Amino acid sequence: MFIELEGVTKIYNQGQINEVVALRDIDLRIEAHTLNCLRGASGCGKSTLLSIIGCVIQPTSGRAAVAGLQPARMPDRFLTVHRRRCIGFIFQNFNILPALTVRENITLPLVPQGLNRRAMAERVDRLLQRFSISHRGNFPAGRISGGELQRVAIARALVNDPPLILADEPTAHLDSGLSREFMEYMAALKQAGKTIIITSHDPQVTEHPAVDRVIDMKDGRIDVS
Amino acid sequence: MKGALTKHLNILDYTLSSLWRRRSRNGSVLIVFAGVIFLVASFQFVTGALTETALDALRSAPEITVQRLSAGRQTEVPLDYGGQIAGIHGVREVVPRIWGYYFDEVTGANLTVIGVDLERMPLGEKLNLTLAEGEVPEPGSTGRVLVGRSIKRIVESKGTAYLSLFRPDLSQASFAIAGVFDAATDVLTDDLIVMDIGDARDLFHISPAAATDLCVYVANLEEVPNIARKIAAALPDARVLTRSQISQTYQVVFGWRSGFASVCLLTALAAFVIFAWDKASGLSPEERREIGILKILGWETSDILAVRFWEGALIAGGAFIAGCTGAYIHVAYFDASLFRPVMVGWSVIHPSLRLVPSLQVSTLLLIFCFTVLPYMAATVIPAWRSAIVPTDSVLSGL
Repeated sequence: MFIELEGVTKIYNQGQINEVVALRDIDLRIEAHTLNCLRGASGCGKSTLLSIIGCVIQPTSGRAAVAGLQPARMPDRFLTVHRRRCIGFIFQNFNILPALTVRENITLPLVPQGLNRRAMAERVDRLLQRFSISHRGNFPAGRISGGELQRVAIARALVNDPPLILADEPTAHLDSGLSREFMEYMAALKQAGKTIIITSHDPQVTEHPAVDRVIDMKDGRIDVS
Repeated sequence: MKGALTKHLNILDYTLSSLWRRRSRNGSVLIVFAGVIFLVASFQFVTGALTETALDALRSAPEITVQRLSAGRQTEVPLDYGGQIAGIHGVREVVPRIWGYYFDEVTGANLTVIGVDLERMPLGEKLNLTLAEGEVPEPGSTGRVLVGRSIKRIVESKGTAYLSLFRPDLSQASFAIAGVFDAATDVLTDDLIVMDIGDARDLFHISPAAATDLCVYVANLEEVPNIARKIAAALPDARVLTRSQISQTYQVVFGWRSGFASVCLLTALAAFVIFAWDKASGLSPEERREIGILKILGWETSDILAVRFWEGALIAGGAFIAGCTGAYIHVAYFDASLFRPVMVGWSVIHPSLRLVPSLQVSTLLLIFCFTVLPYMAATVIPAWRSAIVPTDSVLSGL
C-alpha cells in the first residue's frame, strides 16, 4: 500500500482554550498509481489530511506511512528532504512567485538538491517543452495567463519526478476550460505511474473519468455514508 | 562534498536574483551603509596618515630632548647641563637648541623660530636638500634665515625682501631670506624660520649660558631608555623626552581627535544597525508566503538562513568595499576635505598636507568589525525567526 493512515488524529492548540480537532481517527489506504479525490465542505479537514500525507505536519496521534516513510517519527529535516524527493505540490492559486521568471519558478525545488546548472536547466527545459511553455521561460510569472500559470505549477510539481502528487483545490479559481485541461494533465500523470490526491468539491474534478476513488470527509472524519 | 558546494552556489545564485528583484530597497540600504562606512573609514585612514606623517617627521629628531622645568613649566636650560650629559657613557653629541613661537599680529599666525648651530647639529649638512630655492647660510653667519613657503608669501605680501621680527623690548631685527623650504616638507616647515642660534638668542633675549633645550644624540639606539634614566637621575629638574615618547604623544593626539569623531559616527552606525535589525525581524506577507512556499518545495530552514546570510553578506560586503574605496579616494585625492577642520587643528597657517592613507590590515579589520559584523548579526539573527514560518499556512492559503 502506497499510503496508509491508521487512527490518525490531528489537534491544533491542544489543551488550550482555542483547541481545534481537525482530524479524528482517520483510517485510509491509498494504492499506488491511482488518482484520488478528497471531497468535503470547507473546514472538514481536507487540507490538514493533505498536509499530513504531504509530510508538512505530523499527526497528534495515530500512524501514517507515506511512500515507505512514517512522518511521525522523523525530524523536520528528513521530512523536508523526503518531501523534496517524493512529493510534488500543486497549491490553490498555484502559489507561483510572480517576481521570478517561469524558468526560475520551476527550478525552485531543484536549488537545494545540489545539481549543477546544466543538469537543472536540462530538466526545466524538458518540462517547458512538455507543457508547451518554452516560449515563456524567461517571462516574469506574474505576466502570464491563467492557463500557462497552471502548467507552470504542474511543471514545478514534477521537476523532481516525485511518485506522489498532491493538489489542494487546484481548480478553485479556474474556469471550466482550464479545469478540464488540468484534469487531462492529471489523467496523463496517472497513466505515467504517479499517485495523485486532489482535494476538491468541484464536480469537474470529482466526476472525471480518470478518478479512481472519491473520499468524502465531514467534520474531520472519513464519511462512509 | 561537491554536491554541498553546488547547492550553496545555487543558493547564492538565488540570493543574487532575490537581491536584484528588490534592488531599490537593497540599493538604498547599501548606499546608506556605504556612506556610514565611508565616514568611519575616512577617519581611520586620516588618523593613520597623520600618524605616519608625524612619525616620519620624527625620524630626524634627536633621540633624547632635555628640557628644564620650573614650577612645572618649561624654562631655559643651562648649557652646563650639556657637559654633565656628555659625560654619560653612550652619548654621542649634545647640541643646544633655541626655539620658540613668534606671534605675527598682521596675519594672526604663530610662527615657529628655531635657532641651531649648523656646525654641530647632525644632518645639518643635509639641510640644503630640503630647499626649493636659495642655500643654507654658512655656519655662524647671522642675519640670514631659511623660511617655509607660507612665510615667504607673508614677506612678499608686505612688499619687502626682509623678514622683520620684534624682540621682547620691541626693537626690530631684520633678516634676509637665504632660502625657502621645499613644498614636500610643508608639514614641518610651512610656518618655520630657521636661523643661526646666535640670532635666535638675540631675538628671544635668551642668556648666553642657556638654551631652550638640549638635543642629545646617542650612539646605540638600544641604550636610549638607559641613558634617558641616567640623565633624569643626574638632573632632577630636567624633563627628559625620548623620541618614542614624543611619537606616542602624537598618536594620542590624533587618536583622540579620531576617537571623538568616531564616537559620533558610531552613534549613526548604531542607529543603522537597529534599523537593520528591525527590518530583518519583520516579514511582509509576501516574504512569509515566499518562505512558506520554499519550505514546502523542499527547502530546509538552514537553506532559508543561508539565503538571509548571503543577502546580508553581499550588501555588507559591497558597502564595505564601496565605503573603503570612497574613503581612500577622499583621503588620498581630496585630502580628506570633509574632515580637515577636525583633524588638522587650530593653526592659521595650514600647510598643503598631502595625506597618504594608511592601508594596514589591522585598520581594515577594525573597520570591518565595527561595521560589517554588527550588520550581519542584526540581519541573520532575527532571520532565524522568519525561517520558521509554518509551512502548512501555505497549503491553507494563508
